[in-house]
Amino acid sequence: MLMGMITVDGLTRDYGSGKGIFAVSFSVEKGETFGFLGPNGAGKTTTIRHLMGFLKPVSGKCEINALDCWKDRDKIQAQLGYIPGEISFFEEMTGTEYLQFMEQYRRLGTESRKEELLDFFQLDPGVKLKKMSKGMKQKIALVVAMMHDPAILIFDEPTSGLDPLMQNKFIDFINAEKKRGKTILLSSHMFEEVERTCDRIGIIRNGRLAEVNPVQELRNRHVRPYTVTLETEALAKAFAEDFHGQRNGRKVTVTAKQSLEDIFMHYYGDESLDQHSTV
Amino acid sequence: MISTALYKREMKRSIKLLLIFCTVLTMYIAIIISMYKPELAKMLDKYVELMPELMASFGMTGDATTLTGFMCSYLYGFILLIIPMLFSIIRGNGLIAGYVDKGSMVSLLSAPLKRRTVVLTQMAVLISGILLLNLYITAVELFFAEYDYPDQLHIGHLLSLNTGLLFLHLFIGSICFTASCVFSDTKYSVGAGAGIPVLMYILKMLANMGDKADNIKYLTFFTLFNPDGIVDGELKAVIGIIVLLTGAVILFTSSVVVFCRKDLNI
Repeated sequence: MLMGMITVDGLTRDYGSGKGIFAVSFSVEKGETFGFLGPNGAGKTTTIRHLMGFLKPVSGKCEINALDCWKDRDKIQAQLGYIPGEISFFEEMTGTEYLQFMEQYRRLGTESRKEELLDFFQLDPGVKLKKMSKGMKQKIALVVAMMHDPAILIFDEPTSGLDPLMQNKFIDFINAEKKRGKTILLSSHMFEEVERTCDRIGIIRNGRLAEVNPVQELRNRHVRPYTVTLETEALAKAFAEDFHGQRNGRKVTVTAKQSLEDIFMHYYGDESLDQHSTV
Repeated sequence: MISTALYKREMKRSIKLLLIFCTVLTMYIAIIISMYKPELAKMLDKYVELMPELMASFGMTGDATTLTGFMCSYLYGFILLIIPMLFSIIRGNGLIAGYVDKGSMVSLLSAPLKRRTVVLTQMAVLISGILLLNLYITAVELFFAEYDYPDQLHIGHLLSLNTGLLFLHLFIGSICFTASCVFSDTKYSVGAGAGIPVLMYILKMLANMGDKADNIKYLTFFTLFNPDGIVDGELKAVIGIIVLLTGAVILFTSSVVVFCRKDLNI
């Protein structure tokens, strides 16, 4: 029984020689932000292509809002915003022309959020798409994905190519959309953006979903408390302040949190070994 | 059924190509028709006498006693086959495979439109281009024939001739379009979409050249379009062009089915 806004159930596509995705199952609840984390080639994009109705499931199935991702793809697209991992527009157009085309193509009228989004991302689209930097193209893709104000967002590595300032801005944007009740699937290999935006994280490796966990749980898992005793209370006070610890007399308890990155390494650390053994 | 926004965009992209091809056609048709003066026609016929194989390979067999016969011989063997064929090859490939290969098909499919709508729109663009080219050819032929030799052209003959030409080009277009839908890689899409019609044309040239090679004509679909036969009202020639039209309908339909069911790695 499939539940949730986005459900993937036993999705398999074998490209041979260990490539592909194998029995991937997860679901994203309404209003939830789900992080889809994994290194390049792990199967994130393949999974997303199934969700988009570009690929037909060989076995297993996927649904969005109780609609079949392959059969009802056009109905799903009406409420979906998508940023592809590799962006390719109509290169001969300017950004303005492209956005205008997409508005007409989608048959958007006055309800388009185009202007608002262009303002938010401080984007001047009057340049030929061919001449745009990767970051600018990424912003155009974002505007296209969001201008029809979709309820479900699927972003495939949306911040690659953005500078740190824009990445922050993007994370703020995601969080704002989340507050507006959007269901979001965010694929990434950047721990920080996932940690700062997502409720739950699915970790995919070699085409298999290794684990699905709430971010908080992942974060807590590797928390280690240390209690140290300082020589004087004044020293203890300074120590507690510098290391954000809890002071009790001369005793101070500090906690070391592993970053998500370290947790990630825990899952993928031996990846290089895997590759060597298969070569 | 089709997307107006996409149709407009694609027709804009076709226009440039159409303008270039129409210019070439205008010049070529104008020159050939003006040569239908007895003395010039004699010159052309002399070429035919001197190098019958080479001239015949382009469908130029001489002995044209009427203006229509002259046009059949000197226009419908080469230029009127090649130019619209080039259009179909270039546009057919760009309309589907080009988008898939570059990945920009994502823009067209991540919108609430059925794949069928997208592929039918692109098909409509290709067919519109072929139709426009054929209409233009007819208009230019009429104009120059009437201008140079008033009342000598049998308009009914010209119209049935160009209907046949249209069916032939719809068939060629359907080959290019099917190749574009089947292959996701432009390398293969162009390979099949251009390779098949060009190979067929080369076979036709070989078949035209001589008695021994005559049987090659059964290997190429160009044989189904027989201008002289159409003008003479031969049943075989009429069946030929109906076969071409049927082939076009079948291939265009299959291309839609293929594209709608296809896995796209975009």
